[in-house]
Amino acid sequence: MAEVRLEDLRKHYKRGSEVIRALDGVTVDIGKGEFVAVVGRSGSGKTTMLDLVGLLLRPTSGRLLIDGVDTAKLSDRDRAHMRALKVGFVFQEYNLLPTMNVLENVMLPLRYVKKPADGRAHALELLERVDLTDRIKHRPSELSGGQQQRVAIARSMINRPSLILLDEPTGAVDTETAEQLVVLLKRLNTEDQVTIIVVTHDLDVASQTSRNIRLKDGKVLADERVGAASVA
Amino acid sequence: METIRNVTRHKLRSFLTISGITIGVLALTTMGALAENFNALIDGGVAYFGSSVQVGAPDGSSAPIIPISKVDELKKVQGVAAAFPGYSFSAKPGQLNFTFGPGDQIQASDPAEFGWGAIRLTYAQGHAIDASSQGQVVLGKTIAKEFKKKVGDTIDLPVKPADAKPDFINHTFTVVGILNVTRTAPDSFAYINISDGQMLLKDSLPVAIRSQIDTSQITESIDVYGQRGSSISQLDSIADRINAQVSGVKATKPSVIVNSFKSGGAIFTAITTAAALLALIIGGLSVVNTMFMAVAERIREIGLKKAVGATTLDIMREFLIEATLIGAIGGLIGYGLGALITIVVNVTTPPGQSTLFLITVRLTVLALGFAIALGAVAGILPAFRAARLDPVTALRNE
Repeated sequence: MAEVRLEDLRKHYKRGSEVIRALDGVTVDIGKGEFVAVVGRSGSGKTTMLDLVGLLLRPTSGRLLIDGVDTAKLSDRDRAHMRALKVGFVFQEYNLLPTMNVLENVMLPLRYVKKPADGRAHALELLERVDLTDRIKHRPSELSGGQQQRVAIARSMINRPSLILLDEPTGAVDTETAEQLVVLLKRLNTEDQVTIIVVTHDLDVASQTSRNIRLKDGKVLADERVGAASVA
Repeated sequence: METIRNVTRHKLRSFLTISGITIGVLALTTMGALAENFNALIDGGVAYFGSSVQVGAPDGSSAPIIPISKVDELKKVQGVAAAFPGYSFSAKPGQLNFTFGPGDQIQASDPAEFGWGAIRLTYAQGHAIDASSQGQVVLGKTIAKEFKKKVGDTIDLPVKPADAKPDFINHTFTVVGILNVTRTAPDSFAYINISDGQMLLKDSLPVAIRSQIDTSQITESIDVYGQRGSSISQLDSIADRINAQVSGVKATKPSVIVNSFKSGGAIFTAITTAAALLALIIGGLSVVNTMFMAVAERIREIGLKKAVGATTLDIMREFLIEATLIGAIGGLIGYGLGALITIVVNVTTPPGQSTLFLITVRLTVLALGFAIALGAVAGILPAFRAARLDPVTALRNE
C-alpha cells in the first residue's frame, strides 16, 4: 500500500506568451489502501495530476511524496525505478504491445526490474484472476476491449505495486464491461490492499470508489468520502 | 525475441533495408577479397625484394647482361653475405595472358639461394633440384596445376607456342618437386638449375651470335644478400656501397622497389575499399531511415515502456539492438553471398591463371564487424530520439 501526499503541487505550461495552469496548488493526502476517483471536466487537471503522481511529469513547484519519499529529489533513473516497482498504470487505450501475446504483455514490466523468480507464475496467476487464462497466447488484436483492459490491469499488477493509477479505464468499453472492471478493481483494492487512483468521467465508476476528488481549473473543488461527509 | 518480431513487423521494409546492407557487405567482401589477394601478392614482392639487393646491368646498357665474375666482386663488398646469379625467362613465350603477378616464368637459380630469401619455399611433393643435376625442375603450385604435373612427370620448357618458328628450341625437364602454395610469385614459377638457365639463355640468343657467346660467363641479374635479418636500410646501404665500389653493375635499393610495391597496393586497396564502403554507407542510410520510421510508429509503445519503468538507457538499448540485428543479418547474408561468389570464381578460374580472390580472417572480421557496427551507429540517432521522448506526450500520441 502506498501513501501519497501532494503539497501545493503545481504544473504550469507555457503556450506562447500564455501560462497554462494545468494543476494549480493541489494539496491532497491519499492514505494507504484508498480507492480514490479524481473527477472533473476536461481540462480540469485530472490527467496532469495522475501523470505527476505517476512520476511521468515533474511539477513546476510543490512537493510530491510517495511513501514519505520526496520525489523531487529523485533522478530520472530513480523515478523510472520507482515507477517500475511501486506504480502500475492502466490507460484508456490499453496500450498493449501488438507484437506480444497476452502473457508477454503482462510480463513486460518485469523487464525493467530485477526479475523475480516467479515472474511467469505470477503473470499466470494474475491472468487467472482477471479470467484470461484461456487467452494467454492471443495477441491484443484478437481480444475484445474489455479483455484488453483486463490484460492491462494484470500488467499493472505484475511488479506487485502499492499504487495503481488508471486513466479513464472504462472510457473505451461498454457499460457492462465497465461494471466488471470496477468489480475487478475493488477486489484488487481489498484483496491486495493496493492504493488505487482512477481518473474518470464516469460517475458510476466514481460512485463505487471510497473517495472522490473533484478538480476544476487545476484546483481541488471538492474532496469527499463517498457516502460519507466531505473531508475538504 | 521481441527484437526479431519488431524487425519482421514490416517484412518488406526490413527486407529492403537488410538488402541494402547485404549488397554493401557483398561488395565489401568481394572487393576486399580482390584487394586481399592483390595484397598477398604485394606482400610476397615486398618480402622478396625487401630481403635482397637486385643487381643488374647499368642503365643504358645495350644488353641486360653482366659478367658472372661480378658475383665474386660483389661478395667482397662490406656487408654482403651471399650473392647468386640468376636468369629468368617467360615459360610461355608469345602468349599474352592477363594475370595478377609476374605470370608463368622459368627461374634459373642456385638451389642454395632458397635458404636466403624471405619467402620460405616448402615442398608439397618431392624435393629441391640437385645442385649438380641437369634437366630437373621444381614447379610452383599454380604452374603445376596448369600443366597437370606431378613429381616424376616431364615438361617441355619453355612451352612451345602454337605459332612457333621452326628454330624454336625447348628442352624436356623432369619434375622433382612441387612447392606448397605461397599466394605470390613462386606459385607460377618453374625453378631450374643455373646451368640449365645458361642453356636456355643461349637458346634465346640470335643464331648469328649464339656460338660466340659463352653463357656460362654472363648472367642477367645477381641477387645480393646481407647478413640474415638485415633491415631494408642496411640493404640500402649495401646497394650504395655496390654502386660506389663495383663498376659495370647497378644495384637498386630495396626500399625503392618495396615502396613502389606498397604504393601500388595502397592505391588498389583504397579504390576497392572506397567503392565497397560507398555501397555500405548507402545501406547504412537505409537503416537510419528504417529506424526513424520504427520510432515514429512506436511512439506510444515507447511511452508505455517508460511508464512501466524503462529508463532512457533501456529504450536506447532496445532500438540499438534492433538496428544492430538488421546490420548483423545483412552482414551475414552479404558476407555469405560474397564468400560464395569468390569461392565459385576461384574454383572456376582456368588452370594457369592466378585466382582472383582471397578471403582472410581479417576480411571476415572487417566485413561482419563493419556491418554490425554500421547497424549500431545507424541506430544511434533514432534510438536517441526514441529515448528522449517525453512519456506523457508519447503515451497520448495519436
